[in-house]
Parts: sequence; C-alpha cells; structure tokens
Amino acid sequence: MFENLQNLKSEAIAQITQAESVNDLEEIRIAYLGRNGKLTKLIKELTSLEIKDRKQTGLLINDVKKTIETALNTQKQQFCDTPKTWFDPTIPGSKLQTGSLHLVTQAIEEISNVFESIGFVRSRYPEVEWDWYSFGSLNFDPLHPARDDWETFFIEAKDHPKFGRMLLTPHTSSGQVREMQAIKTPPIRMINIAKCYRRQSDVSHVPVFHQFEGLVVDKDISIAHLRGTLDYFARSFFGPSRKTRIRPYNFPFTEPSFEVDISCDICKGTGLIKGHKCKLCKEGWLEIGGSGMVHPNVLKAGGIDPTVYTGFAFGWGVERVYMMKSGIQIPDVRLIYGTDLQFLRQF
Amino acid sequence: MNILILDSWLRDYLITNAKAQDIARCLSLCGPSVERINKINIGGKVDYVYDIEVTTNRVDMMSVWGIAREASVILPEFGFKAKLKKPALQKYAKLTKPLPLKISINPALTHRVMGIVIDNIKNRETPKWMKDRLTASGFRSLGALVDITNYVMTEIGHPTHVFDYDLITTKQFVLRESKKNERIVSLENKEYKLPGGDIVIDDSTGQIIDLPGIIGTKNSVVNATTKRVLLFMETNDPVRIRKTSMTLGIRTVAATLNEKGVDPTLSDYALSLGVSLFQKICHASVASNVIDKYPKKQKQNIVKITHAKIEKLIGTHIDKKRVITILSSLGFGMKATKEGYEVSTPSWRNRDITIAEDIVEEVVRIFGYHNVPCTKLSGEIPDKPTDMPFKFEMAVKSILKELGANEVYTFSLVSKTMTVGNELKLSNPLGSDHSFLRVSLLPSLRKAADVNVAQESNFLLFEVANIYIPSKGNLPQEKMTLGGIFVKTDYEKAKGVIETLLDKLNIPYVFHPTDAHGFKAGQRLQVLTNRKYIGFFGVLMDNSIYFEFDMSLLKKFSRNATYKPIPQFPAHIEDITSIVPKNTYIGDLMDGIKHASNQITKIQLIDTYNDAFTFRIWYQDCNKTLSDEDVRKIRQEVVKYLSAKHHVTVKE
Repeated sequence: MFENLQNLKSEAIAQITQAESVNDLEEIRIAYLGRNGKLTKLIKELTSLEIKDRKQTGLLINDVKKTIETALNTQKQQFCDTPKTWFDPTIPGSKLQTGSLHLVTQAIEEISNVFESIGFVRSRYPEVEWDWYSFGSLNFDPLHPARDDWETFFIEAKDHPKFGRMLLTPHTSSGQVREMQAIKTPPIRMINIAKCYRRQSDVSHVPVFHQFEGLVVDKDISIAHLRGTLDYFARSFFGPSRKTRIRPYNFPFTEPSFEVDISCDICKGTGLIKGHKCKLCKEGWLEIGGSGMVHPNVLKAGGIDPTVYTGFAFGWGVERVYMMKSGIQIPDVRLIYGTDLQFLRQF
Repeated sequence: MNILILDSWLRDYLITNAKAQDIARCLSLCGPSVERINKINIGGKVDYVYDIEVTTNRVDMMSVWGIAREASVILPEFGFKAKLKKPALQKYAKLTKPLPLKISINPALTHRVMGIVIDNIKNRETPKWMKDRLTASGFRSLGALVDITNYVMTEIGHPTHVFDYDLITTKQFVLRESKKNERIVSLENKEYKLPGGDIVIDDSTGQIIDLPGIIGTKNSVVNATTKRVLLFMETNDPVRIRKTSMTLGIRTVAATLNEKGVDPTLSDYALSLGVSLFQKICHASVASNVIDKYPKKQKQNIVKITHAKIEKLIGTHIDKKRVITILSSLGFGMKATKEGYEVSTPSWRNRDITIAEDIVEEVVRIFGYHNVPCTKLSGEIPDKPTDMPFKFEMAVKSILKELGANEVYTFSLVSKTMTVGNELKLSNPLGSDHSFLRVSLLPSLRKAADVNVAQESNFLLFEVANIYIPSKGNLPQEKMTLGGIFVKTDYEKAKGVIETLLDKLNIPYVFHPTDAHGFKAGQRLQVLTNRKYIGFFGVLMDNSIYFEFDMSLLKKFSRNATYKPIPQFPAHIEDITSIVPKNTYIGDLMDGIKHASNQITKIQLIDTYNDAFTFRIWYQDCNKTLSDEDVRKIRQEVVKYLSAKHHVTVKE
C-alpha cells in the first residue's frame, strides 16, 4: 500500500508535468481524483487495512492527494487559460485619441536643441520690420531685387524717418543687427527661429515659412568655424548617412557667402525617381539655405568693430530642413501649412 | 539667373580632358552652381546642356566664354587639364567710302557704345548648327539677323542689337534720357508709355527708335527685306535699365544682363564675333568704320590685403604662392607687399570686388571649401537670458497635446472677409486671400476647423502664433497668442480642457461672463487671474467653442508647482443633492458653497438630473479629524447659504 501510494504519486506528477493543455489536466484529475479515480480507489481500500496501519496510510493518502492537487493547479496556471470562458485576445484595442504637435514645432524644438547644446542662445525678433533692419543694415543695395514689390511684402504704413518702409521680413537675418545692438559686446552666439514672408508659392515655396538664423561674432571667427558648426548640425540633425556640401554663392550681408546643400531624401541623392527627374531637388542635392562670413558693413551697422571682430551667419528654412530629414518624405512644402487632421495626426 | 550652355559650345573656348559631369561637379563646388545636366542628341551626336545658376554679382559668367574662363581655373584644382581659348578680335580696314553713321551719347547714362554698318545681307536662313546651339540655350530661332545677335550675347555675354539701317533715314543715333509719357511701340507691336528718365535712342528728330539694353522698337527693327544693318552694342547705367525694365514689365535676357552691369570691354569681342558671323552666314560686308564711344574708361579697383587676414578668415594655413597663383589665374593683377598683396581687379570683376573679404572669397572658393577644416567653436559661451518664452510655449503646447489637441500652423495673413477692421494691410498682397495681418487667431482657426468638419467627430485644433496689433508710427505690437477651437465638443468638456490647462500651468482663474461680437449671447467668458484679464473663451454662432490667451500673460501668471503638505487628518466626503431654481449659475453657486466654510476643501459637481444637482463635498481640517457633529455644523452653513442666496432646497 505504502509503496503503491508513492508510485501513484510519482506517476501522477509525471503525467501532470507532461500534460499539454487544460483538458489534459482535467483528464488526469479525473483519472486520479475522480469518483472512480486511482487514488479514490485506494482510499476506498483503506477500510481493508489493519487499524494500526490506517492512520499512517490515511495521512500519506492525504499528502499524496494534496500534492497532486497542487501540481494540477500550478500546471493549470502555467497554461494561463480558463477553459470555460471565451476570450478573444485578437480583438483590437480601443486607442486613445491623442493630440499632435505640428511638424514645424517639432522641427524648431529639435533644431534649437542642437544649437543650444553648443552654446547658442535662442532669441526672437520682429516679423514686421523696418526696411533698415531687413535690408539697409544688411548691406543690401538700395535697388536690390529683394526690395522690389514683387519679392517682399510691404505694409501700407508711413515710412519711418530713419528706418524706411514697413515690411514683412523676408528672412531671419533682420535679427542680426538687432542682436548685435542688444548684446553690444561680443561674444554672440545666437539662434533666431521665426516666421518669414516672401511673395512666392510653389512646390517648394510658401509665402509664410520659418527660418532659423545662426549668428556668431567673436574674435578670430573663421570659415573653418562655420564649417565645423554646420557639420555638427548636419550630423546631429540628419544622422551620419546624409551628405552636405557648401558651394559659393552671393548674399549682400555675407562675404564670402556660401550655399549649403544636403543630399535629397526623396530621391536618395540620385536626382531620379523611377527614371524621372526628382521634382524637388537639383541632381540629388537640395539647397537648405545660405551662410557666410558676416560682411564688415553689417558688423558696423550693429555697432561692432570689424577690425577686431569677425563672425559667421546662416539662415535656413525650417520646413525644408525638416522635409529633408530622413523618413519624412513630404514632396510638397505647401502640405505643411494644410490643416487636415489626417495630415496633422501623422506626426 | 539660370543660363543654359551646351557642352560642345563650351569646348570652343575650353580645352579640357574633363567630362561634362566632372565639369558640372567641379564648377558647383568652386564657382557657378550647375543645377542640372541634360543629355541631348544633336544631329546624331550626344551632347549635354548645363543648366547653371549664376549669382547676380557674376554677370561676367553669364555666357559661354564666361563659364569657360571660370572652368579653366577651377578644373586644374581637381586634377584636370584645362586651357582657355580667347575669343578672336577682328581687324577692321579703314574704309574710304563708309556709309554714314553718327552716334552720340550722354556719359552719365551710357558708358560705351560700339556700332558698325553691315551691308549686302544675302542669306537670312540660320544655319542648323547655330539653330541647335540657340535652341539648347533656350532661344527661339527668328532668322539669321536676330539669331546672330542672340548667339553673340550667349557666347560673349554682351547684349547685342541690330537695326535696319535703311529705316533710320537720319543715320543718327542719339542716346538720351526720355521724357515722361513718351511712347514707344515694341517689336512685338505693343505700345508702352515711358515713365521718364529712361535711356532711349533718338534718330535726332525726336523720334525714339530704340529702348536700348531692353527691347527693340518696331520702327527700327530688322525685317524680311532688310539689306543693311547697324550692328550695335552699348553698356548703359544698370540702375536705369533695371528701373525701366521693371516699371514697364519688359524682362528680356538683354535687360537682365544689362541691369547687372556688363563689362564694357566685352564690346570689342561681341562686335568682332557679330561681324564675322554676318560675313560667314549672310555673306555680308562691312560698310562703315567702327564707331566706338567710350569716354570714361573704367578704372581698376585696387584692394589691399594682408596674408594674415586671408589665413585668419579662412581658418587654415595657405601658401603665399598658392594665393598668388589662384588670384592671377582668375585674372587679378598681383603685387606682393611687405605683409600681403595689392590686388587689382580684371575689368569683368570691377563691380563685384571692392573689399578685402571679396579677395578672400576668391582665394578660398578656388582653394576649395571642402578643403577647409571643420573647427569647433571655442571661447566663451554667452550667458542665457532668463526671460525667454520658448520653454514655456513648448510646455503649453505639450499640455494641449496631452489633452488631445492637434496643433496647426496657419497663415498669419487673412482676407478682407476675415478682418475686424483695424488690421495692417499689405500694399502688395499675393492675392486677396492674404492681404491683412491678423489681430486674432480666430478667423484662421475657424477656417482650419472647416477643413475637418465633414470628416471628424469631435476635435480641438490650436495654434500658438503672433497677432499684430497696429501701433501708430511704429512697428505693430507682435503678441504671441494661443488660440484654440473645439468642434462638435460638449461645452463642459471644452471648458474642462481649458481649466486643466490653467491648472497644469498653476494659474489661478475666475471666469467672468462678457458678451462679444461673434459669440452667442451669454455664452462667452473672460478668464481673469488676480483680477487681470488673460484670455477668453465662448461658444461661436456655429456652436464651435473658441478660446484665446495672451501667451505673455499666461507665462507671467504661471507658477512652478509648490509643495503643499499632505493632510494628516482624513476628509469627510459626502454628496449633497440640491434642487436648484432655473437660471442659476452653477459655477457661482459652487463658489459660494466652497466659501461657506474654510473647512470645505473641495467641491465637485458629480451628477445632474433635471433641476437636481449632486455635489460632492470634502470636509477637512488640517488640525483634527472632524467629528460627525463638526460636519453637521458645516453642512448647516452650506444649506443656509444655498437657501438664502439661491433659493435652493437640499434633498435629505
């Protein structure tokens, strides 16, 4: 009897551990603990034992029963299943309606974080400006085309006796001289991110857009510093797989002046999409914006001695830069200023 | 300005082993930017068209020869062989019986004029090779006489014109200033009234026979019977050219070149090429002596620069010899001084190079920007101002996003129908949709909401942007503003979002009903904090709910969260259901309950059914656990207040 019980216990445990489903376990339970189960039968045989052995055997039977029950329960929990309640784990979750921050906000946040990490201080200057801050102080020729009615928006207002016409600033560069006047003595390391306005609208231009302007003025600032800074930005913002290049250009407020390009993300820098020319870029390169060494006349206009200090500046389109960031793949800049929730919620 | 140049044409002047793609790449890095190369087939031969962006300061590069000159300097820097071929200069024999020709100029308007009469024009057909080149450069073939002028302009970079010599009976060409309202009829038969002060050519009788540098006029233009032409080139004051061209809206290639200041010394080459083409294609002959009026020869600019300045501005070491080679190959005259150089500009760079920094640019672009090291900024980091609003703005946006709102960016320019009357007006809007600077975000957000009304159930759009409040004699006040619009949203839910926003910003608030135009009567509230107005919200006529806050005021009144001790003694919480008379402001009523005792720490509306409102009230004391007797007394106060002030009965 004693031995039978031990064997029974081992046999049951073995079967339980090998069971593959809750149904198996139920079968095992019935086979051992059911009305005609193996253990139940042994219990029934208890009466046939001698009285002196009964107590001892009874205790053992209880122990075996408990062990089997515990094993059954433990195993059952491992299956994590309840055989009797229907549960559909494939049913879709009910998602929460979350909000979204606009792409431009996200872009501005990322851009300012990159520059703040190398000591740039973010500023903000007027979007509605006087001609002098937008053009005059920036060494624009009095007849420069940007001052024409067909390029810049002007306001119906009286001219300022000293600063000229009132306009919507076409670039963040108007903050350069304001920053110099505010800081007075360099070092200056400014980043100005703001709305700008130009009279144009097509696949890569909108009349209202955002630019970020960097301005560094200090002793001994060189083109090498400008390159170093742009390079740092490009690597931090676009990642190591994107390429940038700088090439000669012409701006009134910088000398020398450069244009900065980044390899196009839409056509992967090939200039072609399915055999056709990429609509967005030029031979695989997309121009991000201008940069250059601050023109001595601009430093003078800001009250800074160009024989002591030099500096560099760059002004890039926020939307363009963000569109070129890997993975966004927006082919038309005008989409960004749409207000369709189906668009907004994608970001 | 973009120009189209054929590779095979370029190679007339540029002898190089570089392929078209190499030329494009190298030019882009160190000179003009080649935006595209288009492969084309001309007469069974593969050719390439370079689409080149030339910056406005480099009118000297807006031609085949100009690009060849740049490329001849740049290509060797990349290891290619490159040699520049100069265009030919004709020698003109002095004629014994020249056809009459008299040209007079005003030196204040015109720098130089060259003219020559060409006779015996026989062939007016443009040869195929010329047609192909012109077509590739974007010109329409208009017969040999005109095509030759476009060809000369594209190849040399100097605008060129031909008159029908026989149409000018006086044989006199007087360049003068126009009077206001003088009229011309262009070769396209369009009449223009001149603004005055334009440069015109007069045949000495007062009749205008040309708008030089911009467009030809009908009364002097060559035609199918033209036998003799005056080949004519002039350089005029670029400022006047631009003004006339822009005012009249005549934007020809010639005008675009002339307004940038064409190098007068190019006239020699242009005239020379023109004459030889007329001889070659039209079998014509020279019938006059060359007239050349060039009273004030331009002076070379001399720029002094130290070598130290060059190295300091570039940020790297560069050999003195290299500097001299680069600048000399670009055509600059070089004189070494004790510390640096005295650089004299070539005629074609006179307008462009005036200061030392210009010289550095020439050196470093040929040296190669890609060869300049990337150096990290060192030195002192400027202090950060503490009052900048950027972090706060981001915090506000993030809270709204968490509350399920979607951020939009709309145009700050609005249409007349979206204005209230005091907006600043643009003098030159792009269209009537965008002609005023908004003084509220409401019209834009409403428009933004309309886009989604059909698609979406309930939503909240918001924007943080400047509004522009006009200020007399000054720039407008740019107020950073938060605006938001709830569509198909229950009033209480919308208000809850606004309350949560203010709570999260730790701004205490009270609401004060004030009506305003555009909102449903009695359904608009001002938001006050410390008795100061900070914003408003309310129900618009179309049932959407709009709110607007002044961001600077939100920032001003926003506080960091401060720690309040957690109450040691438990609150006694109970629900009271009251029957409230109609037209009672529940907000005021709840405020009243709250103020009935300082042992009431919190009150919430948890249920409404018809006129029955159930409030949950927290009774709590910071010094002890309130007994049932204490609570009973406070409740009595509440009931007394409700019945006395609001005629409310409390259900027991």
